[in-house]
Amino acid sequence: MKKNFSKSVLLQPRIPGLFVVGLLVAQYLIYGSGNSPEPHCTLKVDRPHYSTYLNEFKKINAIKLSITSKCDVPQNYTELTLSIKRLEKRKKVTTSKLELKRKYSNTNFPNFAKFEDFYILCQKEIDFSYRGEAMGYVSLKDGRTVKVQGNSGKYLAVPCLVVTK
Amino acid sequence: MSYLEECLTLGDWLSQDDRRALYKYFLESNDEIYESQVKSLVTYGKLTKTIANGEISYFVNNGKVNYSARKVDSDEYTCEIRAIKLSNLKSLNYKRLKKFFAQSEVDAIHNFPLPGANPQSDSGYGITVYPYYDLRYYSNNRSRLLGFFKKLKVDDSEILNKLRAS
Repeated sequence: MKKNFSKSVLLQPRIPGLFVVGLLVAQYLIYGSGNSPEPHCTLKVDRPHYSTYLNEFKKINAIKLSITSKCDVPQNYTELTLSIKRLEKRKKVTTSKLELKRKYSNTNFPNFAKFEDFYILCQKEIDFSYRGEAMGYVSLKDGRTVKVQGNSGKYLAVPCLVVTK
Repeated sequence: MSYLEECLTLGDWLSQDDRRALYKYFLESNDEIYESQVKSLVTYGKLTKTIANGEISYFVNNGKVNYSARKVDSDEYTCEIRAIKLSNLKSLNYKRLKKFFAQSEVDAIHNFPLPGANPQSDSGYGITVYPYYDLRYYSNNRSRLLGFFKKLKVDDSEILNKLRAS
């Protein structure tokens, strides 16, 4: 037997519109605005070392600090406050140099930013130990920022080959 | 080779002191050139110039001037590196933009040097967060007042004299 439905019944949605909107809101709240989960960035602060490059090419005796920031998503830039701290006679800690630098990522390596131009000149005294520290944030391509910080570990003596004035 | 020519090839190996002295040197020696470049930028809303192995492009946008750069012969521009606000006072804008030009040129020399003996890392475009005309550069992001006093202690005369003798 053929059933007759009125047109208004056929056009009526089986799932209420309000319910659908609720589902979409719930999905937005759970998964955010389509971004991946929390991005992860790390900072690798190498031990301060005597730079043979600077000695060879710039004829200076310097202790260099290299820092690399690495994220699991592409970054725009990394902005860091870099410092080399010096320990004198196992007692007094002084900041030998402090700089605020920004490095934009290279398109070939969009997840990385490398700081390779931070150094201090060697001092006359030779019994100094040094430590590198870095603190700041990474600005990601998707607009988010991630705080980062790191250090090179224990204070270690850095022998300078030739001592300058 | 003059000291200025040497600086154009050093790139990564340009020290902070060298760069700051270069900035001061450009400001004093390029005043007339910058004057005409500011006129051109304000008139046309954009300006492109080359220095060392870099090309700098300036754009006027929403009351600001910003710059991006690229290596000469490269298709790939950086994103906007620095920006400076324009004011309603023409004379103030001229003064500010001259400093902005000098700063951007030093940035470009540091990142895109002429070929030389020194190996370059090509590890991305690097800058000091605060330009040399901002007192916070001298105070490392602390107060401008502290920056003012620290600036008084900075002596770049030795490098400046080497540059002037170039």
